[in-house]
Amino acid sequence: MEKEASQLEKDHVHSVYEKIAPHFHDARYKAWPKVQQFLSDQDPGSLIADIGCGNGKYLHINSQTYKLGCDYCFPLVESARNDGHEVMVCHSLCLPYRNECFDAVLSIAVIHHFSTKERRVRAIKEMARTLRVGGQMMIYVWAMEQKRRKFEKQDVFVPWNPSPPSWTLSNTCSRGIQKSINQKDKRLALDQHSPKLAGTLKVHRQARSSSFVGEKETTHNLFEKSLRWSLFSRSLDSILDLSNQWHQRELSTFSNGNIQLDELNRGKLFEKIRQGGFMKHISNLSLRCRQNSEDNASEVAVEPGSPMICHPVPFKSCYSELGQDTKQPPVSPAIIHDCSRVCLPDLVSHQKDVKQQLKIDYHPKQSAFHQLQNRRKTDSSLQDTNNYCSMATWNKQPQRSPNGACLRYYHVFKEGELVELIEHHVPELHVIHSYFDHANWCVIAEKIHVWKI
Amino acid sequence: MKLLTHNMLTSHVRGVRPGGGFPLRIQATEVKVNNVDFNQEFVARMIPKVEWGALVEAAESLGHLSDLPHELPPEYENNEDFLRKVHHVLLEVEVMEGILKCPDSGREFPITKGIPNMLLSEEET
Repeated sequence: MEKEASQLEKDHVHSVYEKIAPHFHDARYKAWPKVQQFLSDQDPGSLIADIGCGNGKYLHINSQTYKLGCDYCFPLVESARNDGHEVMVCHSLCLPYRNECFDAVLSIAVIHHFSTKERRVRAIKEMARTLRVGGQMMIYVWAMEQKRRKFEKQDVFVPWNPSPPSWTLSNTCSRGIQKSINQKDKRLALDQHSPKLAGTLKVHRQARSSSFVGEKETTHNLFEKSLRWSLFSRSLDSILDLSNQWHQRELSTFSNGNIQLDELNRGKLFEKIRQGGFMKHISNLSLRCRQNSEDNASEVAVEPGSPMICHPVPFKSCYSELGQDTKQPPVSPAIIHDCSRVCLPDLVSHQKDVKQQLKIDYHPKQSAFHQLQNRRKTDSSLQDTNNYCSMATWNKQPQRSPNGACLRYYHVFKEGELVELIEHHVPELHVIHSYFDHANWCVIAEKIHVWKI
Repeated sequence: MKLLTHNMLTSHVRGVRPGGGFPLRIQATEVKVNNVDFNQEFVARMIPKVEWGALVEAAESLGHLSDLPHELPPEYENNEDFLRKVHHVLLEVEVMEGILKCPDSGREFPITKGIPNMLLSEEET
């Protein structure tokens, strides 16, 4: 799983940050006051490490201390260097520092980018290693529970919006705005209603805001973006936790009134599904999403504190049929498919003509999740299920946005999760303070001596 | 990369003995000297946190030893003259281009534009 986790982070953390690094402007990424306070409270002459320093926005605080920043992202490190800071490039799972050399360590909005619990623990332990006994560490991670919106899942892909709209939507979305958005997309739905996906794909692609820089958001684009943001995935941990029983349960869910594949394709399908079992899980999730037709809030995630706030657009199902339900904003498969290199399924309606369009194409390029699934034991019961079918349609090449990988992976933390992680897995750290700040769960922990008997 | 930074750095290449990755040998191709404001208390507080032998060795390799003693003098806290020398070596000398070499494994970490690249490949960790 290690390789897959690492690959996921490469694709959806590292490469994204490299692309968006030039757009990190100070105006949007101010230092949080409590972090500033933590730094200011350090004794003069303290040695402080900012692990995952980004463009170095905390490195200027408290000139009486010596700060070392490090980050995996070259462009961001360069940016910090240009501001005169001492920085280097490294990976936070393997810090190039001596043991116990720092008086304080910062980890602000970093650990939530690790895709497994084990890696998150390792990251904390590695930082603790570099901290002297009595020194303090401050950790900030995105919270699942946020004031204005709620993530449905803990593991999410979040696109980065370089150009916040000229007008910001308020927390409680005004009816007028929502209405106008709905109407606009209703028009869009009507215009694009077509049994053929291809046509729709094309239109949506045109409608899509494709540039990252300097493009003015329209209400329509905003909405499309919020739709895109309702992507989700299982964490790698939970995939491995899945048991056969779960499989069975999901299979029976599938069999209730969905697509029937003809005999011709079934064998081929099973083979592919066995190989790409993970995608099935995603399909399952999407299916369940459809079936829970009531008020699935879209998963919207924004950089906490960002001026650009996307209103949570409640719509009845995460993925509705294209053009069919004109009351709901339509969801273009292109949007969903387009935004992820991890093969999330296109969801198509269960119209009759879908059968023709249904085509399982195992993407030759193994995604992290594919590899993961290949390593899992084959569930032979899968093949035996007559009614097994899939909602998934795979394009030959999972489309990406014109800008390449644009989604950042996050594992958003539940209340208490960070504390629990430290208390149960990092005995050398003692949590002295934990709190909620600007949509983050935060911990201050002290390095203690662990006595081994 | 300042020498104070260098003093914290170590190699974690797999197979290196504990402590064998420190200190990294500096092979500098470009060194810069800056003027940094002297803060006596800051320097005095920094000294106990520094591996003194490694600092001296690094300064020497860059030709900036500037009479720094190989042994820490007692009661240096009020020795302004001494502290100014330490200040110079710790904070004013910067390696802009060069290589950091792991003493145990020989693995080389490049320094570019003052930024050390300490990334290891997956095989090395």
